[in-house]
Amino acid sequence: MNYTSYKVDKNLNRQDILFTVARVPNSSKAYVAGSDFKIHEIDFDNPKPDLRSFPAHSSYVTALILKDDTLISGAYDGKLSWWKASTGEKIKTLDAHKKWIRQAALSPDGKLFASVADDMALRIWDIKDGKMVREMTGEHKPLTPNDFQSMLYACAFNKDGKLVASADKTGHIVVWETHTGKKIATMEAPIMYTWDPSARRHSIGGPRSLAFSPDSKLLAVGGTGTIGNIDHLEANGRIEVFNWEKSERVHEFVTDKSKGLVEHLEFHPDGNILLGAGGAGEGFLAFIDLKEKKVAHQEKAAMNIHALASTDGMKSLLAVGHHRVLHFKMA
Amino acid sequence: MSKIRKNYCGSSEHEVSRRQFLGSAAGGIAGASLLAQESLSAELKKQGKSVILLWLAGGASQFETFDPKPGAVTGGPFQSIQTSTPGVRISELMPKMAARFKDTCVIRSLNTRNGDHGSASQLMMRGRKDEASLKYPDMGAVLARELGKPESQVPDYVSFYLQTEGRNFSGSGFLGARFGPMELSKSVMPENINKPDHISEIDFHDRMALRNLWSKNFEQGRVSGTLASHQQAYLRVNGIMDSQKLFDVTKEPQKIRNQYGPTQFAEQVLIARRLAESGVPFVRVGRAWWDSHGQNFETHQELVPELDHVMATLLTDLEDRGMLKNTLVVTLSEFGRTPGINSSLGRDHFANAWSCSLSGCGIKGGSVFGKTDERGDKVVEGEIGAARLFATIYKALGINPQKNYYVGSRPVPLTDPGTEPVKEVLA
Repeated sequence: MNYTSYKVDKNLNRQDILFTVARVPNSSKAYVAGSDFKIHEIDFDNPKPDLRSFPAHSSYVTALILKDDTLISGAYDGKLSWWKASTGEKIKTLDAHKKWIRQAALSPDGKLFASVADDMALRIWDIKDGKMVREMTGEHKPLTPNDFQSMLYACAFNKDGKLVASADKTGHIVVWETHTGKKIATMEAPIMYTWDPSARRHSIGGPRSLAFSPDSKLLAVGGTGTIGNIDHLEANGRIEVFNWEKSERVHEFVTDKSKGLVEHLEFHPDGNILLGAGGAGEGFLAFIDLKEKKVAHQEKAAMNIHALASTDGMKSLLAVGHHRVLHFKMA
Repeated sequence: MSKIRKNYCGSSEHEVSRRQFLGSAAGGIAGASLLAQESLSAELKKQGKSVILLWLAGGASQFETFDPKPGAVTGGPFQSIQTSTPGVRISELMPKMAARFKDTCVIRSLNTRNGDHGSASQLMMRGRKDEASLKYPDMGAVLARELGKPESQVPDYVSFYLQTEGRNFSGSGFLGARFGPMELSKSVMPENINKPDHISEIDFHDRMALRNLWSKNFEQGRVSGTLASHQQAYLRVNGIMDSQKLFDVTKEPQKIRNQYGPTQFAEQVLIARRLAESGVPFVRVGRAWWDSHGQNFETHQELVPELDHVMATLLTDLEDRGMLKNTLVVTLSEFGRTPGINSSLGRDHFANAWSCSLSGCGIKGGSVFGKTDERGDKVVEGEIGAARLFATIYKALGINPQKNYYVGSRPVPLTDPGTEPVKEVLA
């Protein structure tokens, strides 16, 4: 893939901070949501006004899953809501978690989705009837080693949906068997979590994104490096790649041109390129060549990217974040 | 030792007290003499009032503590919750304080106009800016002087600040070192107050007994304030050496320690309660560092629940011991945080509309004073600055905020001239 050829062809300013995006297949439409507690349907080819906006939650909306005409949203209010995408009609709402829902991921067959939240539970849901089919708890501790609340930030399915991974603030990563709920591997990425015991006495960081390689042998984890002054996200973005079956870290990559958190990770379908996106004061895209074992290309973004959705084998990247939507198109 | 004013009028109001003598002898007041209305404070000292200041260093967010704006574009992700006072809501991160709001007044209308850590910290510790030629004492030094007892054998002013970021803002100013803090910056146990290792316990007590004997023999037939002060200074040093046990949290029942919790901040606040219980008039517990330019909501998810738990536990503990009516608990920062949320999901420094809380002694509990607008951008009711906050704190403790100290012949009131306390905050 020609990762040096991306151009921003759509740059939409917004009032809200967007944390999640779900694209409508084969179109320029997408659903976005974030700091105004609403879901917005947008058409980035015809950006103003939004096609539709509707109140969805009582806090930041951080997860959107789209399957056919079913849209599911998750938020810091701990609720999951089901919507009829074409009309915005609410179908139902569940008290899904006791604390903030941080992320959700759709299984490859489109039948299930996973949610993770600060109640330190990974839950698997049936997308059609909304029933919880599995719950994975007990592995991610509610408190950090320093007695502060931990957070469960990220989850991802592998390509056949038989595996699901989760990562918490302290850098503890677990691979689970989706259909049994059994833990089958654990890994640690402690560099992504900074606890400052002396100057400021709190913490920052933690893994924010996960992605399995297409062959399911590798698990990539995105976050940030060890931070000196934890007032700021001042470390470079960091990606660690594990051979999860051996619980062994096989690569580590640093976005040396950009600081902040890697909040989105995605393997190219050929398995050779890994895309990381994120930021802090400003945003970035980082393309990692796994054959060359290096960060092959870094692209600045005009906003801190909180989420990204790609289509056409990464030829089209729709990024959302701080007061902006950006569409990157590969030439 | 400082000079006594040449124009001393001979009135009791301008008499040099033993305390002033001790203060001058211990620390010196460069180029200044102090004369104050000691007689007015004698009764106050007897009441054994104390202040515990929970200093939220770095600037805690008012949005995530005492002045939530849920649903506003500036409000962030947290909801508000109902307190025990109908109609008053605070951040959902503070459920324990919400449940026992009855002793607390939240002030939501501070406009202190200074967003620089160093000078804002000085402002909020002193209640005003230093002058080029006059360094003002901080709250701890003033209260050590106003509430400390001359015969006390415990420190008058203890300051815990174990983190390294944001130190060096306190000071006793023109009151001199006698009223300066016992600073604990490396451990919760004071340093350099132990007897030297090469002196045995028996030897130490024998030496003290011998010194006392000689001192009493020397005092026979002599009436001298200087001698009395000398003796008082020895007793005081001995008392401070003896007070080490107050800093030993293991002397506290495990049940109480469990109630406060396992964190370093909790441990220090428990020690602060022990100190207040033993007559220490002012204890500051510095809890750094709230300066959340990046990841504000994550930072406050860590720090606010800790504050909520420890503060609520402290107030209940003080109430259970019958101490709350004479102990004022203050939560204060150098400033608040911006309504705007930056691209790192942080909030920056903001001093134009922020909050603090006062609980216990002299305070109208279960109340809120002042109001900010819907977005939290500005104060719309009851705007006050540092001076009025300090006047209110002093008044709550029964201290006249306009009481004068004298630096040379210059009268210096405790708070800026004409500053009125906020009556609505006072019981």
